[in-house]
Amino acid sequence: MSMAADINSQPAATPRPTRRSGLGEAMRIRAYQMGVLLVIIAFWQVGLWAGWLKPFIYGTPLGVLQSFAAQLADGSLLRHFWVTGQEVVLGFVIGCALGSAGGLLLWLSPLWARILHPYMIALNGVPKIALAPLIIVWFGLGMESKIAIASIITFIVAFLQAYKGTQEIDPDLIRLMKSLGASPWQTFRTIVVPGSLPWIVSALRLNVGFALIGAVVGEYISAEAGLGYMVYYAGQLYDLNSVWVGIFSLMIMALLLEAIVARLERYLDLEH
Amino acid sequence: MSTAHPAVLTADHARVVYNEDTDRPVEAVRDITLELHRGEILALVGPSGCGKTTLFNAIAGLIPLQGGQVTVGGTKVEQATGHVGYMLQKDLLLPWRSVIDNITLGLEIRGCPRAEARVKAQDLIDRYGLSGFERSKPSGLSGGMRQRAALMRTLAFNPDVILLDEPFSALDFQTRILLQADVKRIIREEGRSVILITHDIGEAISMANRIVVLTNRPATVKSIYETPWGVEDVDPVAVRDRPEYQQLFSTIWQELELTPRH
Repeated sequence: MSMAADINSQPAATPRPTRRSGLGEAMRIRAYQMGVLLVIIAFWQVGLWAGWLKPFIYGTPLGVLQSFAAQLADGSLLRHFWVTGQEVVLGFVIGCALGSAGGLLLWLSPLWARILHPYMIALNGVPKIALAPLIIVWFGLGMESKIAIASIITFIVAFLQAYKGTQEIDPDLIRLMKSLGASPWQTFRTIVVPGSLPWIVSALRLNVGFALIGAVVGEYISAEAGLGYMVYYAGQLYDLNSVWVGIFSLMIMALLLEAIVARLERYLDLEH
Repeated sequence: MSTAHPAVLTADHARVVYNEDTDRPVEAVRDITLELHRGEILALVGPSGCGKTTLFNAIAGLIPLQGGQVTVGGTKVEQATGHVGYMLQKDLLLPWRSVIDNITLGLEIRGCPRAEARVKAQDLIDRYGLSGFERSKPSGLSGGMRQRAALMRTLAFNPDVILLDEPFSALDFQTRILLQADVKRIIREEGRSVILITHDIGEAISMANRIVVLTNRPATVKSIYETPWGVEDVDPVAVRDRPEYQQLFSTIWQELELTPRH
């Protein structure tokens, strides 16, 4: 082998950093995370004892715990969690799937991309939640309308992000594919779809939040069940402890969904 | 010597104008007539922005000519069909694919069965020093190795003509010199016909059989030089010490009319 080969044979990139200290470090971080939570609760409780916070307006840690236990016992919490969970997941899946596919396919037709451009800007700018009352009217009071709200909002975000992803692909790559004699469909499959994946996945992350907002706001407007309904209803009754139970349940749902998306991201191996 | 080798590519009064239909047409290439012989490396040198890349795009069939014609392998170029292999300053390797799957890209587009494509790619990998990196992602390779992978991708689908558009200019000096030697050797061994765009006169002299000097935009052929070594297999590093190299370098340097642009 020539000298050239020897010089060039050193890989430039250092190996991917592995998790440095493994289990010990992870446990320590977890401990600190629990610590932060305990500090917040402690301040809350001290504030109540000192009389700075009124239990009627802020709820109490113990009251939240009692409310949580009671609602868990009578099954209402799980029922609300299940209803909202279904709305969020179905809305998320429908919206992300159709939106990502649509945004990608638009690459195939620059003409339609130009035609739709002002609409995309308008949809991007509008507070998407403003569509919620309309959708309730169209889809009724049941779960369908919440699924529809979550789908439509996540659709818009997924569509715009996927399309943006296709536009960020290096034009020289497209040129290379053309010079190879590739058809637009071949270029689409080989370059555009995989090249846009990071954008699509980042849209998934955003959409976990948007799907939750869509479902919960839908439930605020009108519903018969769900965590949003529960929070809204409890708020009307000044049952602040139940409001907190609802909010914490939504946070847990958000964390679960985030974890699923993170797992998907790792599966797709986006860190090249 | 021209008559001894059949031309694999000809440009006959090729002319490219951008925005021809508007009131501000831009003439990028005015009149290019040249021949690329089989197994030859032909270098195009010219002032930057003189229309070299435009000419490449026209040869690849990516943009239409407004006059004259280009033929590759005896067939008039009408559109991009994979008759030429392209290699740019950017390696354009797909970051989500392994090295071997990047090299098979051109074969894949042409519908070559996967197993067969992989055999061809593996053969190139083994012969030209990327063994052990087949399954690596491009991000794990050095700049020089990536460019070599890009060259293999170009060689793999066996195009009639290989177009190299400043393929070394993003590399550091040492890697560039060594890769020039490497690429020249590979191209010679494979018997490929190559047009090399470069603004580096030294690179042109040390790698090419013939050198076409282009004028400022709009590009026309100003003069054509044969390097003293022709097809003789000379080491592009050692050749820099020869007096003929120095002589040709200064001749072309003066030809280029490198007027400062303020």
